[in-house]
Amino acid sequence: MSELNAALEHPTYNYKVVRQFAIMTVVWGIVGMLVGVLIAAQMAWPALNFDLPWTSFGRLRPLHTNAVIFAFGGSALFATSYYVVQRTTQARLISDKLAAFTFWGWQAVIVAAAVTLPLGLTSSKEYAELEWPIDILIAVVWVSYAIVFFGTIVKRKVSHIYVANWFFGGFIVTVAVLHIINSAAIPVDMTKSYSAYAGTVDAMVQWWYGHNAVGFFLTAGFLGMMYYFVPKQAERPVYSYRLSIVHFWSLVAVYIWAGPHHLHYTALPDWAQSLGMVMSIILLAPSWGGMINGMMTLSGAWQKLRTDPILRFMVVSLSFYGMSTFEGPMMSIKTVNALSHYTDWTIGHVHSGALGWVAMISIGCMYHLIPIVFGKSRMYSIELINVHFWMSTIGTVMYIASMWVNGILQGLMWRAYNEDGTLTYTFVESLVASHPGYLVRLAGGAIFFAGMLIMAYNVYMTTRKDVAEQALPAGAAQGSHA
Amino acid sequence: MIQHTFGLLVKPDAQWRSIAALPASSLNILVLYPCIMALLPAVAWYYGTSRVGWTVGDGAGIRLTVDSALQLCILFYFAIVGCVAAVGYFIHWMAGTYGAETSFAKGIVVAGLTVTPLFVFGLAGFYPLLWVDMLLGVVAVSWSVYLLYLGIPIMMDIPEERGFLFSTAVVGVGLVILVSLMVTTVILWDFGAGPAFTDV
Repeated sequence: MSELNAALEHPTYNYKVVRQFAIMTVVWGIVGMLVGVLIAAQMAWPALNFDLPWTSFGRLRPLHTNAVIFAFGGSALFATSYYVVQRTTQARLISDKLAAFTFWGWQAVIVAAAVTLPLGLTSSKEYAELEWPIDILIAVVWVSYAIVFFGTIVKRKVSHIYVANWFFGGFIVTVAVLHIINSAAIPVDMTKSYSAYAGTVDAMVQWWYGHNAVGFFLTAGFLGMMYYFVPKQAERPVYSYRLSIVHFWSLVAVYIWAGPHHLHYTALPDWAQSLGMVMSIILLAPSWGGMINGMMTLSGAWQKLRTDPILRFMVVSLSFYGMSTFEGPMMSIKTVNALSHYTDWTIGHVHSGALGWVAMISIGCMYHLIPIVFGKSRMYSIELINVHFWMSTIGTVMYIASMWVNGILQGLMWRAYNEDGTLTYTFVESLVASHPGYLVRLAGGAIFFAGMLIMAYNVYMTTRKDVAEQALPAGAAQGSHA
Repeated sequence: MIQHTFGLLVKPDAQWRSIAALPASSLNILVLYPCIMALLPAVAWYYGTSRVGWTVGDGAGIRLTVDSALQLCILFYFAIVGCVAAVGYFIHWMAGTYGAETSFAKGIVVAGLTVTPLFVFGLAGFYPLLWVDMLLGVVAVSWSVYLLYLGIPIMMDIPEERGFLFSTAVVGVGLVILVSLMVTTVILWDFGAGPAFTDV
């Protein structure tokens, strides 16, 4: 391998680990989204459970969430953070060996998840389902990641620490704290453990973790990407650097308190629920500060939009970021949550963030980064990026719209009662009514997934040494960004 | 006004251009367009939910009581007009960023004309069959989004790429307003404006 790739080695930077994570981003994206499409089909046609425990919805759903969040999103975060930290500090990663360990360790975690979750081995904590031996491996890999990242910052060759690194650093530290505290457990044997916390406290710790997995893993880290790749692709400085610093500190300070909104109307004390709701609403301000900063950076580069579908990915991802960070605070209002909780509205909200923001900004960044780390001037086909862009956008919109309709419908049907006080609908009737929405959601998800296959082909052709780039579409000239 | 409806549905590009060429005074009259067109879905859904009703699965037919349907559809009408006005305001507010000159009225006109397909397909409310209405809804929304991306550069007299950014920002605002509408609805339901159902 090393001899084969000798020509790709950068004199200063460690691009090998970036290449590895970038490729695995695409691979795990395809795997995770394929499982997502399968379980979306199971919701429409339950026979697709095949009456087997290993392929039942309850086991495949955590596989889907783990694969897209930690395998796809995680690989994208590793790839971009290693890339950005080297380029903005002008220093090579402090240890190639430790960086390689984070790559192989993280892949081992993912494979272990893919084996244990279908077997039904689970801690039953949402987004933290993996059992304790895997949790320990995650902690070790994550601490190594922190050492590589912060070690590189320590030996930086420029005095200033660029804001993207603040976001990546905040994400790495917080995720380490969240993971270690939430996964504390008493093992019974190799495959079974009990949480170190009990009852309501366990629930609160879980959702303190769960919401900050969204806030730091899926938001702060990806904002780090935004602050590097959006200005880079637009070839313009960040609209307001001051705003980006305010954005960082306010986001970090507020996000951590929002977890209780996952536990409205549960055994959690009422004051804690209300506090979680208030902090969630305040969270709108920093979120939108970041969105406006990205949008304003991009709006100065409008001339490039015709020729640069990567910029389109970034524009649309910021729109979805703005929308979903508005929707979240609204859904945390207790009155609204009383209707929306346990309905498909929640699933739609998650995916407007996950598909619209996280996946689309990651895809945009990968299209920027992959040609560079593989020593090409641009992706093999700009036209295919454009096709992928439209498929992602349409797929996301179909997904969100169908879940909105289903969510409102379910919330309304479940609470509808007749004049004599009897329920208007049975639960099964609400399922029947949800069926068309499930079909539209399946179609939207499948379109998004098919876009990933196009990306995989484009990436494969870009990485091949014997294939030149395709001719640009008429009138196009993608900005150089080597 | 009716020719704009047909024009935008049949030959959208040419229609946007002829609207853009209207003098300011005629353009401002079009502020009434969404106010009138919003009657279509409001009346259709009133009739559909109170007179026709719907069934779920094999269950009995369900309707809203006449009082409840009337209350909801009046609220529905004002919600539509309010949302169009809000989107219109934001179009006007953002125009400077994208190098266009507008007025609040022009913003409302652009927003109102853009959602023409939604007004027309709102007539589907006469027959509230969920999957049909959802399918029509998806078509209407896609059509409106297409009209937006087509119309913004023409109406604002800005280059297409800038129009793409502007339109995307409008879609973002539209989504936010849609979520606000959903949330307001849910809160109002909680305060007693909820639908009252009746068996057929």
